[in-house]
Amino acid sequence: MAEDVSPVIRFDGVSKSFDSQGKRLLALEGIACDIQDREFISVLGPSGCGKSTLIRLLAGLLPYDDGTIAIRGGKVTGPRRDVGIVFQTSNLLPWLDVEANLRLGVEIRHGRARAASLDLATLVDSLGLTGFEKSFPHQLSGGMRHRVAIGQALALSPDLLLMDEPFGALDALTRDQLNMELLRLWQRDAKTVVLITHSIAEAVLLSDRVLVMCGRPGRIVEEVTIDLPRPRDPAISRASPLFGDYVVRLSRLMGVT
Amino acid sequence: MASRLLSRADRANARDAVLSLLLLGGLWEAAVRGFQVKPYLLPAPSVVLVEAWKSAGLLWTQTLVTLWEVLAGFSLAVISGVALAALIHFLPPARRTLYPVVIALQSVPKVGLAPVMVVWLGYGLASKVTMAALFALFPVVIATLGGFAGVPANLDEHFRALNAGPWVVFRRLTMPAALPNFVDGCKVAMPLAVIGAIVGEFVGSNDGLGNLILTATGASRTALTFASLLAVTALSLVLFGIIEILGRMVWWRRM
Repeated sequence: MAEDVSPVIRFDGVSKSFDSQGKRLLALEGIACDIQDREFISVLGPSGCGKSTLIRLLAGLLPYDDGTIAIRGGKVTGPRRDVGIVFQTSNLLPWLDVEANLRLGVEIRHGRARAASLDLATLVDSLGLTGFEKSFPHQLSGGMRHRVAIGQALALSPDLLLMDEPFGALDALTRDQLNMELLRLWQRDAKTVVLITHSIAEAVLLSDRVLVMCGRPGRIVEEVTIDLPRPRDPAISRASPLFGDYVVRLSRLMGVT
Repeated sequence: MASRLLSRADRANARDAVLSLLLLGGLWEAAVRGFQVKPYLLPAPSVVLVEAWKSAGLLWTQTLVTLWEVLAGFSLAVISGVALAALIHFLPPARRTLYPVVIALQSVPKVGLAPVMVVWLGYGLASKVTMAALFALFPVVIATLGGFAGVPANLDEHFRALNAGPWVVFRRLTMPAALPNFVDGCKVAMPLAVIGAIVGEFVGSNDGLGNLILTATGASRTALTFASLLAVTALSLVLFGIIEILGRMVWWRRM
């Protein structure tokens, strides 16, 4: 979709295994793919297929065994300063209020001065958290906690935003809302996003391209380009026949139907 | 948050506690009078209170002596306990060497150490402070260790993804996450520090509430013994209450 054709991320023959009770368990095998600048990629697969491992390798949180992962030509050897990650659990510090939690990532990575100059009001507004700036995580709903976690990653203005099933534990309605907000923020800031999900509809709704994985060992079985017009909307997109076609195709690939 | 020191529920609880103590005192009074128990065996609460009133000056000065011993011993236990826990948690060699020593020290009957402390440190403040610290040390170490070990793995990973260095992880994650456990350890340790100081005074001292209990009992002034016990109990309760209230600054109990 972008003019820049050099990939931001390149996986080349990546494999990863874990030692589990004396046995070697191959979690990922022969992962190879390119992700372009400003692309919205979803990685779709059943639980236990290694998609969380994949994103941890990309985030530099786990070492890999073979192959290479490169971000902008640099081999990933540890957590990078231009990558933001949103985890499955919202990971907020319970003793900090919403504002302090939003600032935390920038504070740790770039120092207090940078964090103090953050435009929190705009961020809070774009996340729909106005009025909750001084609330603590235990006073927020699950959906709001996830918004704060996403806001903390966005505040880092990362080149690459990684999301590991950030909406997995939420109800469908909250999930739709957050998906919409994510789309809006992505279109505004045009980052490269890699989203891990096990929801087929979510993958179709959000992505430019879907990487379908299957497990034991985890590998990419198919890449599906989602050619739906943007901006997208959950209600309208789902009603379109093309959306349905993609859902059916991805369901087949995942062996659901 | 804590705009008031004591909430409505606190005051209701305090009222119920006082009522039940008054009831207990009433039963005690009635039993001593009804069965005509000899006062040198068990004085009636009214007799104890009169004695406490008459000896108020003496009780107060002895309470202050014990108070300083307890505060110094407790502080020593907290400082060395946190330091030990940090060493044991963050340095694997210390876990292998220091931790067994701490466990072994806890297994030594500390009452038996009291005479040794008097021999080593004399009749004065030092031996009592050491006894109070020895009694209070273990719960601080164990609770703080539990706090350090209980930092959720997902938050640890989150900090790693943010390129946080070890000092930042400690200051912004490990320490605040361990605080609730640490406060719990302090709550266990404080009454133990009082017991430690009293034990130290029993074994060899010139003053303090423990000394007063011994001398009063020796002089068959049982009412004064009970008044001294009352003072020890009140001291312990007040100190515990202070920890309880200070501990409310650490309100993030659920992670």
